[in-house]
Amino acid sequence: MNDIFWNVGYPHYLVLAAILFLIGTVGVLVRRNALIILMSVELMLNAANMTVLIFARMWGDLSGHTFALMVIAVAAAEAAVGLAIVVAVFRGRRNVDVDRLTTLRH
Amino acid sequence: MNLNFDPKDLGYLAPYLIMTVSGLLLVLAEAFYKGKDRTALVGLAVAGSVASAIASIILYTQVGPNVSQQIMGEMLMYDRTSYVLSALFALTTAVAALMSPSHQREHQWVIGEYYGTMLMAASGMIMLAHAANLVTVFLGIETMSIGVYVMTAMRRTSRRGNEAAMKYFLIGAFATGFLVYGMALLYGAAGTTSIVAMRGTLASTANPGLVIAGGFLLVVAFGFKVAAVPFHMWAPDAYEGAPTPVTAFMAAAVKAAAIAAMIRVFGVALGGDVVPFGALGWASPLVVIAAITITIGNISAVRQDNIKRMLAYSSISHAGVLLTGICALGLGSITANPAIVYYLIAYNVTTMGAFAVVAYVGSRGRERLLVDDWAGLAGQHPAAALAMTICLLSLGGMPPTGGFFGKFYIFKAAMDVNDGQLLWLVLVGVVNSAISIYYYLRIVTAMYFREANQPFTPTRSGALVFVMAMCPVLILEMGIMPGWWLKLV
Repeated sequence: MNDIFWNVGYPHYLVLAAILFLIGTVGVLVRRNALIILMSVELMLNAANMTVLIFARMWGDLSGHTFALMVIAVAAAEAAVGLAIVVAVFRGRRNVDVDRLTTLRH
Repeated sequence: MNLNFDPKDLGYLAPYLIMTVSGLLLVLAEAFYKGKDRTALVGLAVAGSVASAIASIILYTQVGPNVSQQIMGEMLMYDRTSYVLSALFALTTAVAALMSPSHQREHQWVIGEYYGTMLMAASGMIMLAHAANLVTVFLGIETMSIGVYVMTAMRRTSRRGNEAAMKYFLIGAFATGFLVYGMALLYGAAGTTSIVAMRGTLASTANPGLVIAGGFLLVVAFGFKVAAVPFHMWAPDAYEGAPTPVTAFMAAAVKAAAIAAMIRVFGVALGGDVVPFGALGWASPLVVIAAITITIGNISAVRQDNIKRMLAYSSISHAGVLLTGICALGLGSITANPAIVYYLIAYNVTTMGAFAVVAYVGSRGRERLLVDDWAGLAGQHPAAALAMTICLLSLGGMPPTGGFFGKFYIFKAAMDVNDGQLLWLVLVGVVNSAISIYYYLRIVTAMYFREANQPFTPTRSGALVFVMAMCPVLILEMGIMPGWWLKLV
């Protein structure tokens, strides 16, 4: 019984990544502040990155590591653009609550 | 894996390199440009895109019909499909750039960086056309998406523009999470990120659970990217709030590029005789999504009074037809690939034409997006009304237009799947084509049979008129002589 706690292997990390991904997904779906949604998306990406890295180690394959690096770089670019958009929205409305973005709803 | 770098490979990537370098030059040119009128940069943008398209066409003629070669350490590949698609993306970009200057001037959002961003996004699309690895698929999708987020947000002072950009960005980033996680699981099952190598290893994997979960996550991710129901809620808002040339670019090129990525991911990596099939294969959720996308897209379009929103829902239902083609491709229909490419060409031409007319009818201060604004257009501007009519008939799939043959070939490819598995999906698609005629003809009747409210001056622009003239001609040409286009790949 204690084995599961003491012999930490690949499955543990995979489950941890899956849990992180779920937390991120739920965060995007339930939180209403655009910044928190952005953070949840980052959590999803990092969970995915972790999964890639674990598999790369399992397979002894380097291409997974490069994939993870690419994802990190792209996530940074995406966050930069996302924050700029959040700032632009905040300037116009003084809040970034996604439930109050209703100008375009018919 | 062959990691040797062969300088000859760069020649095969000429369309991509030309597009990227032009984009970088545009960003530099914007910084050093002294002139008052920033829209002058459009010349370089169009020149770069057209040069990229010409390079694609020249390389296309150098590649045999059944050649498929991997280059750059198996990261990219080229075959006829990739060159046809890269030419399509480059030309669509050129047309979108041509539509932009007059719209920028009329609606006061003259920003020079716009053109550089557009060409960068287009370089992501061309990468998708050439992608042979999950890494390049991811990079291409993100290069394209991030560029288009910025383009959507360009009209910074517009509340609607900001809101559209925010919605588009949040949903797009959410989809990226699914995309990367799905790719991670597939990588875990296959032990490789190469799309071609994956096809073999996934079929005999020891962990089918990972393949199933990965396939489902990718269906969700691409569902968001092509705006398939139930992942479509961002599309009407983003399409409505974005400036019209950007909407055209999003509806035509971005959707086509996402489908190009799906051709590789679902047609090659997840294709074959094992992975797509059965209750747990990715084809099962995708056929259901395709069916509800066609239906819900059409039913929602019927209720719209805003033309851009109506075109958004119409593009959702077109995504459903394209997903039908992707299902057929994954399930082994050999006619699916040319059918999808033909449909993408016809759909891009039609969409660009329709949005060109929308941009033309709007002018300073007023966008004239409501159906009521278009009443009596035929009396005042008969040529614009005729161009819009041809585009709408093509979107509705009436002969003799490219849209008709696009639908026809896709449904024919779906019928070619073994045992008529997709017969019901074809029936859904055909019934929906009939429904769609109703809301397209609503605009046509408004233009031709209703009294005009008041005369107005449309946007005066030679480039816009050129696009409005070219697209209907091309639509009719594709509809009257479809054979040549179908033999492209």
